[in-house]
Amino acid sequence: MNAPADHILRIAPAAAPRATVLVVPPLFEEANRTRRTLVLAMRALAAQGFAALLPDLPGQNESRVALVEVDLDRWRTALADVAATIDSPLIVASVRGGALIDHRVRADGWWRLAPVGGASLLRTLLRARVAADREAGHESTLETLQAAAHREPLLLAGNRLSPDMVAQLGAAAVEPVAPLRTAAPGAGDGRIAGTPLWLRAEPGEDAAMAAAIAADIADWSAACGIS
Amino acid sequence: MTVDSTLRALLADVLGLGEDRAATLAADSGLFGELPEFDSMAVATVLTEMEDRLGIVIDDDEVDGEIFETYGSLLTFATRKVAG
Repeated sequence: MNAPADHILRIAPAAAPRATVLVVPPLFEEANRTRRTLVLAMRALAAQGFAALLPDLPGQNESRVALVEVDLDRWRTALADVAATIDSPLIVASVRGGALIDHRVRADGWWRLAPVGGASLLRTLLRARVAADREAGHESTLETLQAAAHREPLLLAGNRLSPDMVAQLGAAAVEPVAPLRTAAPGAGDGRIAGTPLWLRAEPGEDAAMAAAIAADIADWSAACGIS
Repeated sequence: MTVDSTLRALLADVLGLGEDRAATLAADSGLFGELPEFDSMAVATVLTEMEDRLGIVIDDDEVDGEIFETYGSLLTFATRKVAG
Protein backbone atom coordinates (compact mmCIF):
# COMPACT_ATOMS: atom_id res chain seq x y z
CA MET A 1 0.00 0.00 0.00
CA ASN A 2 1.32 3.43 -0.89
CA ALA A 3 -1.01 5.42 1.32
CA PRO A 4 -0.53 5.28 5.09
CA ALA A 5 -2.48 2.34 6.45
CA ASP A 6 -5.95 3.16 7.69
CA HIS A 7 -7.41 1.90 10.94
CA ILE A 8 -8.64 -1.63 11.27
CA LEU A 9 -10.91 -2.55 14.16
CA ARG A 10 -9.70 -5.96 15.34
CA ILE A 11 -11.57 -8.05 17.91
CA ALA A 12 -9.83 -11.33 18.61
CA PRO A 13 -9.49 -14.04 21.24
CA ALA A 14 -6.36 -14.06 23.40
CA ALA A 15 -5.15 -17.31 21.86
CA ALA A 16 -4.34 -17.85 18.19
CA PRO A 17 -7.61 -17.58 16.21
CA ARG A 18 -9.05 -20.63 14.42
CA ALA A 19 -9.78 -18.34 11.48
CA THR A 20 -10.17 -14.69 10.60
CA VAL A 21 -13.41 -13.07 9.52
CA LEU A 22 -12.84 -9.98 7.39
CA VAL A 23 -15.98 -7.87 7.64
CA VAL A 24 -16.67 -5.69 4.60
CA PRO A 25 -19.21 -3.09 5.69
CA PRO A 26 -22.03 -1.61 3.62
CA LEU A 27 -21.15 1.58 1.72
CA PHE A 28 -21.73 5.20 2.74
CA GLU A 29 -24.58 5.93 5.17
CA GLU A 30 -25.56 2.27 5.36
CA ALA A 31 -22.22 1.58 7.06
CA ASN A 32 -23.13 3.90 9.93
CA ARG A 33 -26.55 2.34 10.34
CA THR A 34 -25.10 -1.15 10.71
CA ARG A 35 -21.79 -0.56 12.46
CA ARG A 36 -22.90 -1.19 16.05
CA THR A 37 -24.65 -4.42 15.15
CA LEU A 38 -21.69 -5.61 13.08
CA VAL A 39 -19.31 -4.89 15.96
CA LEU A 40 -21.58 -6.87 18.29
CA ALA A 41 -21.41 -9.75 15.80
CA MET A 42 -17.61 -9.43 15.77
CA ARG A 43 -17.52 -9.74 19.57
CA ALA A 44 -19.67 -12.86 19.37
CA LEU A 45 -17.30 -14.31 16.74
CA ALA A 46 -14.28 -13.56 18.92
CA ALA A 47 -15.98 -15.41 21.79
CA GLN A 48 -16.12 -18.43 19.45
CA GLY A 49 -12.42 -18.27 18.65
CA PHE A 50 -12.43 -16.16 15.49
CA ALA A 51 -10.44 -13.00 14.91
CA ALA A 52 -12.79 -10.42 13.41
CA LEU A 53 -11.48 -7.46 11.40
CA LEU A 54 -13.41 -4.40 10.27
CA PRO A 55 -11.18 -2.13 8.18
CA ASP A 56 -11.87 1.53 7.46
CA LEU A 57 -12.21 1.70 3.70
CA PRO A 58 -10.08 4.52 2.23
CA GLY A 59 -12.15 7.70 2.43
CA GLN A 60 -14.48 6.35 5.13
CA ASN A 61 -14.52 6.76 8.93
CA GLU A 62 -11.07 7.76 10.24
CA SER A 63 -9.28 7.22 6.93
CA ARG A 64 -6.58 9.73 6.07
CA VAL A 65 -7.68 9.65 2.45
CA ALA A 66 -10.39 11.98 1.12
CA LEU A 67 -13.45 10.16 -0.17
CA VAL A 68 -13.35 12.09 -3.45
CA GLU A 69 -9.98 10.45 -4.23
CA VAL A 70 -11.23 6.88 -4.10
CA ASP A 71 -13.41 4.61 -6.19
CA LEU A 72 -14.65 1.01 -5.99
CA ASP A 73 -11.50 -0.29 -7.65
CA ARG A 74 -9.35 1.25 -4.92
CA TRP A 75 -11.59 -0.27 -2.23
CA ARG A 76 -11.23 -3.72 -3.84
CA THR A 77 -7.45 -3.39 -3.81
CA ALA A 78 -7.37 -2.06 -0.24
CA LEU A 79 -9.35 -5.08 0.97
CA ALA A 80 -7.11 -7.47 -0.93
CA ASP A 81 -4.10 -5.78 0.70
CA VAL A 82 -5.59 -6.22 4.17
CA ALA A 83 -6.37 -9.88 3.43
CA ALA A 84 -2.83 -10.50 2.20
CA THR A 85 -1.48 -9.75 5.68
CA ILE A 86 -3.61 -12.47 7.32
CA ASP A 87 -1.98 -15.84 8.06
CA SER A 88 -4.97 -17.83 9.30
CA PRO A 89 -7.81 -19.27 7.20
CA LEU A 90 -10.00 -16.40 6.00
CA ILE A 91 -13.73 -15.90 5.61
CA VAL A 92 -14.94 -12.68 3.99
CA ALA A 93 -18.25 -11.45 5.41
CA SER A 94 -19.74 -8.61 3.39
CA VAL A 95 -22.95 -6.72 3.89
CA ARG A 96 -25.00 -4.94 1.19
CA GLY A 97 -22.69 -2.86 -1.04
CA GLY A 98 -19.70 -4.51 0.62
CA ALA A 99 -20.45 -7.43 -1.70
CA LEU A 100 -19.50 -5.18 -4.65
CA ILE A 101 -15.89 -4.90 -3.50
CA ASP A 102 -15.09 -8.27 -1.85
CA HIS A 103 -14.08 -10.46 -4.79
CA ARG A 104 -10.44 -9.40 -5.21
CA VAL A 105 -9.64 -10.83 -1.78
CA ARG A 106 -8.13 -14.34 -1.68
CA ALA A 107 -10.20 -16.22 0.89
CA ASP A 108 -11.37 -19.68 1.93
CA GLY A 109 -15.00 -18.67 1.78
CA TRP A 110 -17.37 -15.76 1.25
CA TRP A 111 -20.51 -14.88 3.21
CA ARG A 112 -22.77 -12.10 1.95
CA LEU A 113 -25.73 -10.53 3.72
CA ALA A 114 -28.37 -8.86 1.53
CA PRO A 115 -26.03 -8.00 -1.37
CA VAL A 116 -27.23 -5.09 -3.49
CA GLY A 117 -26.37 -3.79 -6.95
CA GLY A 118 -24.50 -0.53 -7.27
CA ALA A 119 -27.16 1.06 -9.47
CA SER A 120 -29.71 0.74 -6.68
CA LEU A 121 -27.37 2.39 -4.15
CA LEU A 122 -26.58 5.17 -6.60
CA ARG A 123 -30.26 5.83 -7.31
CA THR A 124 -30.97 6.30 -3.61
CA LEU A 125 -28.03 8.70 -3.24
CA LEU A 126 -29.11 10.69 -6.30
CA ARG A 127 -32.70 10.84 -5.07
CA ALA A 128 -31.62 12.13 -1.67
CA ARG A 129 -29.77 14.92 -3.49
CA VAL A 130 -32.80 15.71 -5.65
CA ALA A 131 -34.98 15.89 -2.53
CA ALA A 132 -32.46 18.09 -0.71
CA ASP A 133 -32.15 20.38 -3.76
CA ARG A 134 -35.92 20.70 -3.91
CA GLU A 135 -36.10 21.70 -0.25
CA ALA A 136 -33.41 24.31 -0.96
CA GLY A 137 -35.40 25.66 -3.91
CA HIS A 138 -33.21 24.25 -6.74
CA GLU A 139 -34.48 21.95 -9.44
CA SER A 140 -32.39 18.89 -10.22
CA THR A 141 -33.17 15.47 -11.64
CA LEU A 142 -31.41 12.11 -11.69
CA GLU A 143 -30.49 12.85 -15.32
CA THR A 144 -28.98 16.30 -14.77
CA LEU A 145 -27.03 15.03 -11.77
CA GLN A 146 -25.69 12.04 -13.66
CA ALA A 147 -24.68 14.26 -16.58
CA ALA A 148 -22.85 16.57 -14.14
CA ALA A 149 -21.13 13.55 -12.59
CA HIS A 150 -19.28 12.90 -15.87
CA ARG A 151 -17.46 16.22 -15.47
CA GLU A 152 -17.00 16.90 -11.78
CA PRO A 153 -17.32 15.38 -8.31
CA LEU A 154 -20.87 15.23 -7.02
CA LEU A 155 -21.98 15.79 -3.43
CA LEU A 156 -24.54 13.06 -2.69
CA ALA A 157 -26.04 12.82 0.80
CA GLY A 158 -22.85 14.23 2.29
CA ASN A 159 -20.50 12.08 0.19
CA ARG A 160 -18.28 13.84 -2.37
CA LEU A 161 -17.95 11.23 -5.11
CA SER A 162 -15.57 11.43 -8.08
CA PRO A 163 -16.73 10.84 -11.66
CA ASP A 164 -14.96 7.45 -11.55
CA MET A 165 -16.75 6.48 -8.34
CA VAL A 166 -20.18 7.44 -9.70
CA ALA A 167 -19.53 5.58 -12.97
CA GLN A 168 -18.23 2.45 -11.22
CA LEU A 169 -21.05 2.45 -8.71
CA GLY A 170 -23.70 2.76 -11.41
CA ALA A 171 -22.28 -0.28 -13.21
CA ALA A 172 -21.22 -2.44 -10.25
CA ALA A 173 -22.83 -5.85 -9.90
CA VAL A 174 -22.17 -8.55 -7.35
CA GLU A 175 -19.37 -10.73 -8.76
CA PRO A 176 -19.36 -14.53 -8.51
CA VAL A 177 -17.07 -16.03 -5.85
CA ALA A 178 -16.83 -19.54 -4.42
CA PRO A 179 -17.57 -20.99 -1.98
CA LEU A 180 -20.33 -18.51 -1.22
CA ARG A 181 -23.30 -18.36 1.13
CA THR A 182 -25.76 -15.54 0.53
CA ALA A 183 -27.97 -14.74 3.52
CA ALA A 184 -31.04 -12.54 3.86
CA PRO A 185 -32.68 -10.98 6.91
CA GLY A 186 -36.16 -12.00 7.98
CA ALA A 187 -38.03 -14.74 9.75
CA GLY A 188 -37.85 -18.40 8.82
CA ASP A 189 -35.43 -21.16 7.93
CA GLY A 190 -32.06 -20.11 6.60
CA ARG A 191 -32.75 -16.43 7.27
CA ILE A 192 -30.90 -14.10 9.60
CA ALA A 193 -33.42 -13.19 12.30
CA GLY A 194 -33.71 -9.43 12.13
CA THR A 195 -34.72 -6.44 10.04
CA PRO A 196 -32.74 -4.54 7.39
CA LEU A 197 -31.06 -2.06 9.74
CA TRP A 198 -29.14 -0.57 6.78
CA LEU A 199 -32.37 1.05 5.54
CA ARG A 200 -33.31 2.69 8.82
CA ALA A 201 -33.67 6.48 8.87
CA GLU A 202 -32.79 6.47 12.58
CA PRO A 203 -29.88 4.14 13.34
CA GLY A 204 -30.70 1.26 15.65
CA GLU A 205 -28.92 -1.82 16.86
CA ASP A 206 -30.07 -5.39 17.26
CA ALA A 207 -28.19 -7.74 19.60
CA ALA A 208 -30.27 -10.76 18.57
CA MET A 209 -29.49 -10.12 14.92
CA ALA A 210 -25.79 -9.77 15.75
CA ALA A 211 -25.85 -13.16 17.45
CA ALA A 212 -27.64 -14.67 14.43
CA ILE A 213 -25.05 -13.17 12.06
CA ALA A 214 -22.17 -14.58 14.11
CA ALA A 215 -23.77 -18.04 14.35
CA ASP A 216 -24.44 -18.14 10.61
CA ILE A 217 -20.87 -17.10 9.75
CA ALA A 218 -19.47 -19.71 12.18
CA ASP A 219 -21.64 -22.43 10.55
CA TRP A 220 -20.55 -21.35 7.08
CA SER A 221 -16.91 -21.31 8.15
CA ALA A 222 -17.30 -24.96 9.26
CA ALA A 223 -18.96 -25.80 5.94
CA CYS A 224 -15.92 -24.28 4.20
CA GLY A 225 -13.72 -26.77 6.04
CA ILE A 226 -12.42 -24.49 8.78
CA SER A 227 -12.28 -26.34 12.10
CA MET B 1 -47.85 -10.24 -0.51
CA THR B 2 -50.26 -7.50 -1.45
CA VAL B 3 -49.12 -4.00 -2.35
CA ASP B 4 -50.55 -2.85 0.99
CA SER B 5 -48.62 -5.39 3.09
CA THR B 6 -45.41 -4.86 1.07
CA LEU B 7 -45.68 -1.12 1.60
CA ARG B 8 -46.32 -1.46 5.34
CA ALA B 9 -43.33 -3.80 5.75
CA LEU B 10 -41.16 -1.40 3.77
CA LEU B 11 -42.15 1.61 5.89
CA ALA B 12 -41.58 -0.46 9.04
CA ASP B 13 -38.06 -1.26 7.80
CA VAL B 14 -37.11 2.26 6.70
CA LEU B 15 -38.77 4.23 9.49
CA GLY B 16 -38.13 1.67 12.22
CA LEU B 17 -41.85 1.65 13.06
CA GLY B 18 -42.03 -1.97 14.10
CA GLU B 19 -44.77 -4.23 12.78
CA ASP B 20 -47.33 -3.02 15.32
CA ARG B 21 -47.11 0.65 14.45
CA ALA B 22 -46.93 -0.13 10.74
CA ALA B 23 -50.11 -2.18 11.03
CA THR B 24 -51.99 0.80 12.49
CA LEU B 25 -51.20 3.12 9.55
CA ALA B 26 -54.52 4.33 8.14
CA ALA B 27 -55.26 6.02 4.83
CA ASP B 28 -55.14 9.44 6.52
CA SER B 29 -51.99 8.76 8.60
CA GLY B 30 -49.52 11.54 7.85
CA LEU B 31 -46.05 10.59 6.59
CA PHE B 32 -43.65 13.28 5.30
CA GLY B 33 -43.73 16.25 7.65
CA GLU B 34 -45.67 14.24 10.20
CA LEU B 35 -43.31 11.41 11.16
CA PRO B 36 -39.98 12.90 12.31
CA GLU B 37 -38.07 9.91 10.87
CA PHE B 38 -39.38 10.69 7.38
CA ASP B 39 -36.62 12.97 6.08
CA SER B 40 -35.39 13.40 2.51
CA MET B 41 -32.97 10.45 2.82
CA ALA B 42 -35.88 8.29 3.99
CA VAL B 43 -37.95 9.43 0.99
CA ALA B 44 -35.09 8.40 -1.31
CA THR B 45 -34.76 5.04 0.41
CA VAL B 46 -38.51 4.38 0.25
CA LEU B 47 -38.59 5.10 -3.50
CA THR B 48 -35.72 2.73 -4.31
CA GLU B 49 -37.11 0.00 -2.04
CA MET B 50 -40.55 0.36 -3.67
CA GLU B 51 -38.89 -0.22 -7.05
CA ASP B 52 -37.03 -3.30 -5.81
CA ARG B 53 -39.84 -4.90 -3.81
CA LEU B 54 -42.78 -4.08 -6.09
CA GLY B 55 -40.86 -4.59 -9.35
CA ILE B 56 -41.68 -1.14 -10.68
CA VAL B 57 -39.68 1.76 -12.08
CA ILE B 58 -40.46 5.18 -10.69
CA ASP B 59 -39.73 8.17 -12.87
CA ASP B 60 -38.88 11.03 -10.60
CA ASP B 61 -41.12 13.37 -12.62
CA GLU B 62 -44.03 11.44 -11.10
CA VAL B 63 -42.84 12.09 -7.58
CA ASP B 64 -44.16 15.19 -5.93
CA GLY B 65 -44.60 16.00 -2.25
CA GLU B 66 -48.25 14.95 -2.35
CA ILE B 67 -47.67 11.22 -2.67
CA PHE B 68 -45.84 11.22 0.67
CA GLU B 69 -48.48 13.26 2.49
CA THR B 70 -50.41 10.31 3.84
CA TYR B 71 -50.22 6.53 3.84
CA GLY B 72 -53.33 6.48 1.65
CA SER B 73 -51.76 8.69 -1.05
CA LEU B 74 -48.60 6.56 -1.12
CA LEU B 75 -50.64 3.34 -1.37
CA THR B 76 -52.72 4.79 -4.21
CA PHE B 77 -49.55 5.74 -6.09
CA ALA B 78 -47.95 2.32 -5.53
CA THR B 79 -51.10 0.43 -6.54
CA ARG B 80 -51.38 2.46 -9.74
CA LYS B 81 -47.71 1.81 -10.60
CA VAL B 82 -48.03 -1.94 -10.00
CA ALA B 83 -51.13 -2.09 -12.21
CA GLY B 84 -49.00 -0.41 -14.90
